[in-house]
Amino acid sequence: MSQNSAVQPQQQLRLPARLALQVALLLGALLMLTPFLVMLVVSLLPTQAFLARDFAPSGFSLANYFATFEQVPFLRYYLNSTIVTVSVTLLQILIASLAAFAFARLRFRGRETLFLFYLATLMIPFPVTLIPNFLIVKSLGWYDTLWALIVPSLFSVFSTFLLRQYYRGIPIDLDEAARMDGASSLRIWAQVIVPLSGPVLATLAIFVFQGTWNEFLWPLVATTSENMRTIPVGLAAFVGQYSTAWGQLMAGSVIALLPVLIIYVLGQNWFVKGITLSGMGGR
Amino acid sequence: MSTDTRVRARGAFRWRPDQQWEAYLFLVPSFLGFFVFVVLAVLMSLGISFSDWGLTGWKAFVGLRNYQALLRDPVFWQTASNTVFYIVTIVPLQLLIGLAMALALNQAIRGRIFYRLVYFMPVVTTIVAGAIVFRLLLSTNGPLNELLGNAAGLLGIPFSAPNWLGSSDYSKWAVVILTLWKNAGFTMVVYLAALQGVPQELYDAANTDGAGPWQRFWNVTLPLISPTTFFLLVLQLIGAFQLFTEPFVMTRGGPANSSLSVVQYIYLTAFRDIRMDKASAMAWFLFIFIFAFTLLQNRLQQRWVYYESE
Amino acid sequence: MKRLQLSAIAGLMIVAMLALAACAPVAPGAAAPAAPAAGDAETAAAGPTTITWAFWGSPEEKASHERVAAAFMQEHPEIKIEVWHQPWDDYFTKIQALWASGDAKVIPDVAFLWPTPRYAAEGVLENLDPYIEQSGYDIGDYWPGLLESAKYQGNIYGFPRDIESNIIYYNRDMFDAAGVAYPSNDWTWDDFLAAAEKLTQKDANGNTTVYALAAEGGKWTKWVNQNGGSILDDYSNPSKCMLADPASVAGLQFFADMMNNGLAMRPADLNQAGGDASVFSSGQAAMILQNSSRVSTFNQAGLNYDIAPAPTPADGKRWNGAGGAAWVMSSGSDNKEAAWTFLEWLQSPEGGEKLYTAAGEIFPALQSVANSPTFLTDQPPANKEAFLTEAGASDVGGFGYFPEWGELSGSIIEPGLERVWAGEVSAEEGATDICSQVDAFLAENSYPQ
Repeated sequence: MSQNSAVQPQQQLRLPARLALQVALLLGALLMLTPFLVMLVVSLLPTQAFLARDFAPSGFSLANYFATFEQVPFLRYYLNSTIVTVSVTLLQILIASLAAFAFARLRFRGRETLFLFYLATLMIPFPVTLIPNFLIVKSLGWYDTLWALIVPSLFSVFSTFLLRQYYRGIPIDLDEAARMDGASSLRIWAQVIVPLSGPVLATLAIFVFQGTWNEFLWPLVATTSENMRTIPVGLAAFVGQYSTAWGQLMAGSVIALLPVLIIYVLGQNWFVKGITLSGMGGR
Repeated sequence: MSTDTRVRARGAFRWRPDQQWEAYLFLVPSFLGFFVFVVLAVLMSLGISFSDWGLTGWKAFVGLRNYQALLRDPVFWQTASNTVFYIVTIVPLQLLIGLAMALALNQAIRGRIFYRLVYFMPVVTTIVAGAIVFRLLLSTNGPLNELLGNAAGLLGIPFSAPNWLGSSDYSKWAVVILTLWKNAGFTMVVYLAALQGVPQELYDAANTDGAGPWQRFWNVTLPLISPTTFFLLVLQLIGAFQLFTEPFVMTRGGPANSSLSVVQYIYLTAFRDIRMDKASAMAWFLFIFIFAFTLLQNRLQQRWVYYESE
Repeated sequence: MKRLQLSAIAGLMIVAMLALAACAPVAPGAAAPAAPAAGDAETAAAGPTTITWAFWGSPEEKASHERVAAAFMQEHPEIKIEVWHQPWDDYFTKIQALWASGDAKVIPDVAFLWPTPRYAAEGVLENLDPYIEQSGYDIGDYWPGLLESAKYQGNIYGFPRDIESNIIYYNRDMFDAAGVAYPSNDWTWDDFLAAAEKLTQKDANGNTTVYALAAEGGKWTKWVNQNGGSILDDYSNPSKCMLADPASVAGLQFFADMMNNGLAMRPADLNQAGGDASVFSSGQAAMILQNSSRVSTFNQAGLNYDIAPAPTPADGKRWNGAGGAAWVMSSGSDNKEAAWTFLEWLQSPEGGEKLYTAAGEIFPALQSVANSPTFLTDQPPANKEAFLTEAGASDVGGFGYFPEWGELSGSIIEPGLERVWAGEVSAEEGATDICSQVDAFLAENSYPQ
């Protein structure tokens, strides 16, 4: 694969075709964006106006946003989500990278078998492990702590798999040359492989970040006190038994959405390149 | 995997004794997590599936009783058929839509970065919020039905507004719509990456041979991105088998269990009915299915997946 | 060389551990709570006994429970109440996880729960009979049939806090506008239908714009039982499904016809519209069938409304489902004496029941409180007697009192009826289908026992 072609679109289209494509893309963008617009509008409306289907912009206010912060310790949720998401993203990728290096570049006995085991667990439905994991976390004394939210998420088959695919694509000659120069495996990992994997790491970081940020069921089960809640769990508190505070739910959703969107916008250039280079689909 | 390739692969694999312990050290943190939170947890749940297991824990070993009860449970079979519906709709539609979006965005066209951003936005969105918005959009006299009604009116087609969330004929489609909205962007990004990896020289060569756009797509693009298609297919099948959050937040599985997925039923069985044992048996049943399916796909892949190296 | 590698990897792992540890300071109680908790236990001998109290609810409901806890602690300084609160959607998952852990430190001593028999069968609840006997607690004050819902194998495992006294809320302005007389206390299904016809408004295409009635799908048990029908032949030890019997089918069909004729909102539409409180407040429905939980909302909104007992069939009877979420005690509690003191106070006419009732949150489970000025205030609705009328007709028939009821109802009966409410099948088809599945389910679970 030549480096050039990797970033260049294939060909200029003719004008009518370009126009038709533009229209189709715009329509698609509208479809994708409508729910966000609705979310924003509802978050600005008093619940009563929303239920009466009165969407006049004159009724817009930030009251729902203030209420969100007043009624529940939303800042605390935000802090928890940030701590958990940042730790999980960094450490999960570190751990997966080390393992992927071993699977892709080191020759040890049992490698293929162990990797197959790893892969097989990708298919295990998550309810299988929910209750056992709760019991495990409990017996480790981590129940209702941030440890319970962080540690079980540090290990990911998917991340390991993705990085292994990528590492396998890097020419083995690089390792051999470095070994000739007396480099250790750790050094090869740190100075050869990791520097070559910037985009794929960025890609993975975005995946892990958004997955952890939006995770719902596990934080729900693994914590109990209000101070340990993450944003999605906190949002659920707005959905009452009898009534739903739509406006606040949407305001909370908008607030929850912002960080991931910002990170995605900032990292998206790396992102596509990273997926390209990871050679998803096995080389 | 033919016998041929397996022999070749084994030949190429040289064990390096000096790397044995090193490799283990690299794997220690990962394996620790794997062992405690996956292997151990899975073994526990396997044990539970063969037991009479209540809220307070183990009561008795009951052999295959939970599995037998499952086979006689009509709701389980209904959820199984719902899940098959999700698989045969979501997986191909998502691949097609994602590929179409990627093909469009792979052209030199104004605003590519913007479109890429917008199409991917749902992927990073909290699904709870997305579902609530869609419940609003899909309500009987909501915007979607209004749009459809107007379109039908213009075309002169008789139209009765579908009750997307409240009728068992449409509820599954409501879940499908939400899932496609949420996930198509992911497929697109992965395809986009694959498309950009197709060497320009191959297109040039095809042009020299006088191939039209369709032939270029069919003979160059499609085969070259087939490994990506395979990767996405495996990933999405596994995802569709395990569909949970989308129906959970969209329809709660109703009406009349018509949109209830297997994993959702597992969740309900475990936490509403407090039957961890039956739920574990169900989870294992599902696992066996997914496993068999993935093996089958692996077998079939050599018929249509094109690998550069071979 | 090799040693260098090892130490480097070790160093890396230390860095990782440090990074992990770095979040400890910001994680209050991450490592800390274990030690102080142990310390607390030692000093507890002198201080008050702490019990954990679990309930669900919105932030507002939580505030109200906390006021009740504060009132109790003022009367009983020797007991300290710690609240454990979750939103309704998460409550059951999480409380099960607590019991599953078997750890007395995290198991709530007193909890709000439904359905009680299911949990009693799991052995996580304390049999309250010995406590009742010892303390002479008056169980005769509960509405008829109500305690049945908290019994398992004949023993009482919980005290229902309130009772669902389902009545008709009606919008007086809409009745006036349609020229319909306000409902009487003994109106019949026919009166009800006649009023509904006039209250319903339809557009040119025949689509309903204003409904006469909005009722949650789950309210159907009233129509069936009023008409002499039933769900099961026996609610503790069932042997067969009775929903397909003519009386039951007629009750279901009455409800279904109202929806099919555009008089009543389909439950799925009601759900999408934000629930019955929303559609009643916004004038999309003239009547709702509901318990007392809407009163404070409607009073705050200043609606011009009143209530009436539910209409009954001409040859039928008045019937109200006797059931409500109950306060229970965990069998794993490590402070049972204190837990009982609290439980008894919660369910006494001068304690919790009074406070909840005065806050306008519940229709009390105790008849004496319902008949007291605490409940019969001069606040709207004017016809509060309607609640008492319906509650007085409380009886079994709405729920099963055996452990598998939740599964039977949630997987078979309610989903089956959803097809009837959606107008996809007739009541008879739906009920016949349900009954064949219910009978199979009962056989599968070895009923009758």
